[in-house]
Amino acid sequence: MSEHQSASQAPAVNFDKLVQKLDESIAALEESRSFAKAGKLPKLFDTARRVLLQPGGCQAIEERARRLEEAGVYDGTDWAEPAILIPSLTTYSLQSPNADTVVIEAFSELRLLAVARGEYLHPGLSAEQAHNYLTQVLAINLGLLFGMTGEAEREQGKLALISQALVQHVASHIGYEHVIDSLIEEIWRILEQRPIRVTDARRMITQIAICRADTDADLGGAGRGADRLISSLYGPTRVCSEDPGTVVYEQRLETMDSAGLQNEATGFARSMHDTGLVSPYHASFVRFILTDWDSLLSDALGLSSTGRDCLMCYRELVHALIQESVFPETAQGLYGLALLLERGILYQPPVAPALWRQVRLSLCPEARERLQLANGYEPKPSAWLMQGVMNMLGQPLGVGQGNNPTCQSARALSMWAYNDPDYLLQMVAWAARDNEIVMHFEGQPVSSARSASGVASEVTLDLDPVSLVVVPHLDRIYAEMGRLCIGREGDPHRWVNPEFHGWSAGRGFAINVDVATGKLADLEGFIRHFYASYHPYYNGSQPLIHPQPAGVAVTDSAARFIGWHAITILRVTLDPESEMRVYFFNPNNDSGQNWGDGVQVSTSGCGERFGESSLPFEQFTSRLYIYHYDPLERGEPAEVNDDELRRVTEGVYRTWGEDRVPADLLQAQPPRTD
Amino acid sequence: MTEQNYNPEKGYIALLGWSLNAIEAADKFDRKYVVVAPDWAEPYCTEHNIPYLPWNFERLNDRSVEIAQTLQEMGVDVAIPLFEETVEWAGAINSVLMGNPRLFGQAMLLRDKALMKRRAQLGGIRVGIFEEAHDREDVVRFLKRVNQTLLKLDGDPNDPIHLKAFDKAGCLGHRVIRTPDEVDTIPDEEFPVLMESHLDGWEFAVEAWIHNGKIRFLNISEYVTLGYSVFVPATPDLEKYRAEITAQIEKLIKTFDIEFGFVHPEYFVTSDGTMYFGEVAYRPPGFKVFELLERSYGFNAYQGMILAFDPKTTEEEIAAFFPKEVEDAKGYSGCFGVYPRRRVVSRLEIPDETENHEYFESHELTPPVEETVTKRTAFGTHWGLIYFFGEDPYVMRDLLKHQEDLDFYV
Repeated sequence: MSEHQSASQAPAVNFDKLVQKLDESIAALEESRSFAKAGKLPKLFDTARRVLLQPGGCQAIEERARRLEEAGVYDGTDWAEPAILIPSLTTYSLQSPNADTVVIEAFSELRLLAVARGEYLHPGLSAEQAHNYLTQVLAINLGLLFGMTGEAEREQGKLALISQALVQHVASHIGYEHVIDSLIEEIWRILEQRPIRVTDARRMITQIAICRADTDADLGGAGRGADRLISSLYGPTRVCSEDPGTVVYEQRLETMDSAGLQNEATGFARSMHDTGLVSPYHASFVRFILTDWDSLLSDALGLSSTGRDCLMCYRELVHALIQESVFPETAQGLYGLALLLERGILYQPPVAPALWRQVRLSLCPEARERLQLANGYEPKPSAWLMQGVMNMLGQPLGVGQGNNPTCQSARALSMWAYNDPDYLLQMVAWAARDNEIVMHFEGQPVSSARSASGVASEVTLDLDPVSLVVVPHLDRIYAEMGRLCIGREGDPHRWVNPEFHGWSAGRGFAINVDVATGKLADLEGFIRHFYASYHPYYNGSQPLIHPQPAGVAVTDSAARFIGWHAITILRVTLDPESEMRVYFFNPNNDSGQNWGDGVQVSTSGCGERFGESSLPFEQFTSRLYIYHYDPLERGEPAEVNDDELRRVTEGVYRTWGEDRVPADLLQAQPPRTD
Repeated sequence: MTEQNYNPEKGYIALLGWSLNAIEAADKFDRKYVVVAPDWAEPYCTEHNIPYLPWNFERLNDRSVEIAQTLQEMGVDVAIPLFEETVEWAGAINSVLMGNPRLFGQAMLLRDKALMKRRAQLGGIRVGIFEEAHDREDVVRFLKRVNQTLLKLDGDPNDPIHLKAFDKAGCLGHRVIRTPDEVDTIPDEEFPVLMESHLDGWEFAVEAWIHNGKIRFLNISEYVTLGYSVFVPATPDLEKYRAEITAQIEKLIKTFDIEFGFVHPEYFVTSDGTMYFGEVAYRPPGFKVFELLERSYGFNAYQGMILAFDPKTTEEEIAAFFPKEVEDAKGYSGCFGVYPRRRVVSRLEIPDETENHEYFESHELTPPVEETVTKRTAFGTHWGLIYFFGEDPYVMRDLLKHQEDLDFYV
């Protein structure tokens, strides 16, 4: 693990002592007369927040639900009347960056849970009402329930852990069966983006499978749509359809004839390409056919003629990759391998030798340790890493940042995998073998081993194997490059982005926010140049050549500004409806976000390839705040017509630019009437 | 009026100023009380049944006698100031209630930092060099003269001087000036000010409860870094001066002719053990030292004030109330005032090492209201306090010091 993981230095918390402090604060509130109660709340809320952060914290609060209410924590708030609470509002309070809001919401949910379970006879609410309310709360907070986190949760910091623990605690007592249908839809939506890391999806599917197997759970009509998902993991073919376990399955394979094996091969391939999920049986099968039946490999991977050609040319390498890294635990690597072959990148001269190096790479203890912490001890860490490498090369747009503020590093990995695969392999080798990456910033070497902390104080383990090993290094280098820009006027991305991502990132730089004041600056010029550089109607129909880093102002569903976020612009072209769209990569784990004011990022159905997000050109431009261009190629500012320009600028003013309008601009405009 | 049981032997006490902690303490105590506060407090007091008398504490004027008479008619025996701004009001009111006009003069003395220093000097108390300034030129002249006295040559770095408003509490309006350039940054409205030479030494504060001209409880508060952190009781390193400090306080109450109440002076002790008087206030200290004392000793410091002020308090009552200094403390409690260290902050995040420390008690920090942090001029206002409690004074001291290197707003 990297030396930056500050959490490990923090002393352990004595839970009993903490709960005792909580009881003291509740007692102080109980003893206070009405006028003094407000003064006791901050300490109580803060102590409760710390309790909730601990395992068993929700239980401790639930047990005190009645005391808390009677002591007066809800006095003077909306929560004082549980009967009038609206489930859909919990999303906002649970995602609030304000600790007190999260804590009081947690108090209230746990109180309702106590009511629903009959532990607390509430004067204003029946157990049925409480149960019904909690079911709705779970359904609309599914993301929290399964640890799918977005930008808003990251902004929330550690508080997000409370919300997650709370929802999971409630679900484990109320029952998952009440939320299953919306969950299934959610899983399909995520899988359509073909993420590399499918741990969350697997966990959700497993949860559903457990619910369905549980005869006590009354699912009614719910959960029918889950069949394909469950079978893709636990029984994708005829011979393993009843989930016999890999040992039994391997015995069955021994006695099968060629027609039977052929059926299995196509069955596996169909299921894999259907969902993007790989069953552990698939790994057993592929290992089995490698010895005597390797002619079935192409079918088992579901390859097209391109992929098959590539497989034929690099048969030995592919065998080595499978031998080294494909095990039931790392089955997901097969999907990466299939797509990697389909991409034809093995034909680039350095890629195959670099993969051979990867096969034999010996890992440094730090990389080993991170891989083991995240994935366990079986199979060996190098197999996990190899799996990650195959997936990243096969699914460059499936990279996710996990719950880390490291969108730049995730974006860089994706960009290299997409555009410069041998460079990515070089980075992986340096990070995994040498525990050091050296990049150059304007000629000056920047070493990850000698740089101070990165943007993230601690890089969490919810990442794919490559990110797990490489991101801590990249993050430190990125932060160090930022530090080297201290004292320069303007936004450091101007210099850092091209140096960090590689020569293909344009050296020209446009930003529409004045760094010193945070106000909008030359919005119109910014938009016109963007059209001139990227929009095919204005740039002479030149398709984008290299993926370009860009920055967007992310807004939430209410169109409120959340934060700056790094993305990659991949292509700009007409969608099936003949609307001009920007297709981009968002390193966020779930790109299908609602950015408010009518801007809903699409991830499928508008001509997107797997992992791409897209927005109509205008809508995209209204959230853009940084882009790069080639200063030698860009022509004159585009003659964008006034209507279009106005729609874009108004989109900015209505959302993230609302309080960034410079004072002189305000004077020039007639007063707005809203 | 309230649900408490009152001692029928006693009269009323009046609290001057709005402090919920003080009201709560009074409410739980055995004296009848009334809160004198501006009229914005009225709805709250009505809603919560708090005995209340509206009064706007502006400068003293001819109507001032009204409040004194009203309180007298209610049966109030003494007025207790809770804030710097109400000290002179308490003096004026008490001089009427107790028929002792000198109390008002004493209060005025305690309200004006320049007068206070003069009086201390007259009483034979050692103070630094000080002077009043009416404009920026006065400040430049004083800065030069102080540094000439220290035999500095042109070009040597100056010793700083301190500027304080005459009549504000604690760190409000406190600036440190090192060069004549910095003088230009002082806004006009801050004049006149008191200027003092800088004393290198260990600064500490004392809280003393006085009844019948005698010290009934004397606490020494140790500052780890001025304006950042304080804890009680002090380390043995500072407590070893207790006898000298007590002698200094006795000198102080004699010089200022203080018979009853509560004083909160600040001193420097230099490396050779000499004590320099800084200033004294006749009201509860800022930085929540009262809360710290309650955590360490278990007595409520506001209730201690009520006892010390009330002329009807008996010797037995007061003797039974206060514990024995240092010996009776259950542990050391301290607090740290957080200033954001970054220029731009987006949220509050208590570092794990702070929050998970065995000594950590609680905090009063709130999420940032603005993203951009205003630059601090010398001693600004902190954004909230963090409380610690533990067994070992040195662990406490180092822990508080260490907090200065951490980010609470990121």
